[in-house]
Amino acid sequence: MGEEQVVREIGHDEYDPKGTLALIGVYFVILLVMWVFMYFVEFLGNELTVV
Amino acid sequence: MMSEALETGTPSFMDRFPQEAAVVRASLISSFIALFLGAVFGLIQALHRTDVFRFLDSQYYYTVLTAHGVLMVVSFTIFFLVGVFTWATVRSLDRPLVDIRYTWAWYGLMAIGTLMAVVAILGGFIPSTDISADVLFTFYAPMQAHPLFYGGLAIFIIGTWLAGADYFRAWYAWKQEHPDERIPLQTFMVLTTMLMWYIATIGVAIAVVVFLLPWSLGLLDSVNPLLTRTLFWFWGHPVVYFWLMPAYLLWYTVLPSISGGRLFSDPLARVVFVLFLLLSTPVGIHHQYVDPGIAEGFKMIAMTNTMFLLLPSLLTAFTVVASMEHGARQRGGTGLFGWLRALPWRNPAFTGMALAGLMFAAGGFSGMVNAGMNINYLVHNTIWVPGHFHLTVGTAVALTFMAATYWLWPQVTNKPIFSRPIALAQVVLWFVGMALMSNAMHVMGLFGVPRRTAEPQYQGFDFVASFGSITELRMQLALGGTLLFLSTILFVSNIALSTGSPRMSGLGKPLSEPLSPAADSPKVLDNLTLWFGIAMVLVVLAYILPLASIITDSGIVDPGVRPVPMLVDAANGLGPISAVTDAASRVVAAVVGVVP
Repeated sequence: MGEEQVVREIGHDEYDPKGTLALIGVYFVILLVMWVFMYFVEFLGNELTVV
Repeated sequence: MMSEALETGTPSFMDRFPQEAAVVRASLISSFIALFLGAVFGLIQALHRTDVFRFLDSQYYYTVLTAHGVLMVVSFTIFFLVGVFTWATVRSLDRPLVDIRYTWAWYGLMAIGTLMAVVAILGGFIPSTDISADVLFTFYAPMQAHPLFYGGLAIFIIGTWLAGADYFRAWYAWKQEHPDERIPLQTFMVLTTMLMWYIATIGVAIAVVVFLLPWSLGLLDSVNPLLTRTLFWFWGHPVVYFWLMPAYLLWYTVLPSISGGRLFSDPLARVVFVLFLLLSTPVGIHHQYVDPGIAEGFKMIAMTNTMFLLLPSLLTAFTVVASMEHGARQRGGTGLFGWLRALPWRNPAFTGMALAGLMFAAGGFSGMVNAGMNINYLVHNTIWVPGHFHLTVGTAVALTFMAATYWLWPQVTNKPIFSRPIALAQVVLWFVGMALMSNAMHVMGLFGVPRRTAEPQYQGFDFVASFGSITELRMQLALGGTLLFLSTILFVSNIALSTGSPRMSGLGKPLSEPLSPAADSPKVLDNLTLWFGIAMVLVVLAYILPLASIITDSGIVDPGVRPVPMLVDAANGLGPISAVTDAASRVVAAVVGVVP
């Protein structure tokens, strides 16, 4: 399986998970957009409340 | 066998601990039988409620639904859990269990309990017997099941308690030999999860043993439905973490190795499991946002606790993805997103777990909607909710379990998987099927289509879709459900055919060490008594006042509530008569109460 195909060892200090940060950033943006979308779904078919 | 294995590769779990491997195999096989039966009922449901194919009378829909729910989320998940936990404890402590006869005893209790409950549920298909349990997974009173159902559930839970004690015994024996060492990570995960389970099951044990079982036996005339519901959800929310924790264990300890890397941080993993022990239980009331009889303030507290509970899941998203990225970079991956291509996508165990994690991220979003008191009202009791939990337990948990089986099964049987290409197709098919089915469920839920309904098609009323059409969504749901059924068949038959594979040696798969080891974290993380104590305090704070107010308002039992032996009364024609006399007696009581 995958374990055998390691081409270089990366230790604790040389590893910086910036790809993970980027992915989680994308996830948060999706969450934010969907949250805003939920607001409109909740009021879809109804008039938007304007005070 | 042992020496031969050493010569040709790493000895497997079965080589090293043959007796424990037999228990793991039995637990996994029990789990897969439940999965197969649950999938059959799932398919019937998906085709029935969408009106694609109805061959059963709709009155049996609730028998089908109860069977699907109980088999999937009690039998499939928890049998798999005890299998994985037994493997993880023995593997990480590197010692056998204390007494294998005791181990078989708890497995036996769980199996007997399951059989009792399943007999009670399937009795619903045979109206001539008085056995039925069409009460759905939540068994809300005043719907009443046959005593076999409640008795089976109680025996099953006692089995899980004894399983937990088995893991604690093994750890205690290990500690005598290793007094100054940190608890191995997998054992730490098993023990914190079982502590959470001991707290959580207090609720369901009281509901079942004190109220529902005596009530179904006729020893109690009535129960207080709000009280038994609240006790149910006291257990009903933490049980979702009970399903999830073995998946987390696999994501934290197995997935990094399969990815070709190492777990990013052992201390962070411990923190996550401690947080789940603390926060899983004092949140159950968030399932009862629309229940009258519980003050809004208590619901607000449950909501706040629930939002805190997002923290360990977000920590997990970070740690697990960072561990995968570590693997990808060790395998030569580069770039901000390019490393994703270096992951072992041809390995069904990896792909299944990664896709399960991806779906869990989507489930996280719909879970936040469920947890918010205001927008929960928008989706409560709609098919959105099953859409949500088919992403979480139905994919994050179920798909992880199936994918992990492709990795674990050869190590507990010494036989390779029958077909890896079929396995890869199977996990992808599950993902596609669930994407269709769950998407359709979420969208239909927003348009108000109810859950738990045999025929959500009404005369003189049509659901209005803001985009697309309801018919289109129904077809999507039915198609998704069918693909999921096919995926289950591929999984079960692949495992069944693997028993015919030639026995091999050296199938063991070692797990890599974390980048940041346990030694980097304070010792207090391993103080299980402390965390258990704090968890108990939080549960008392969250539940003592709501329970006191329920009991003050409507009593320990509520004499105005009559049991509903589903269908049996209606079949005899007694239902309407008893309803009329009941209503009449209430009117008389009210009049007598008002007239001085």
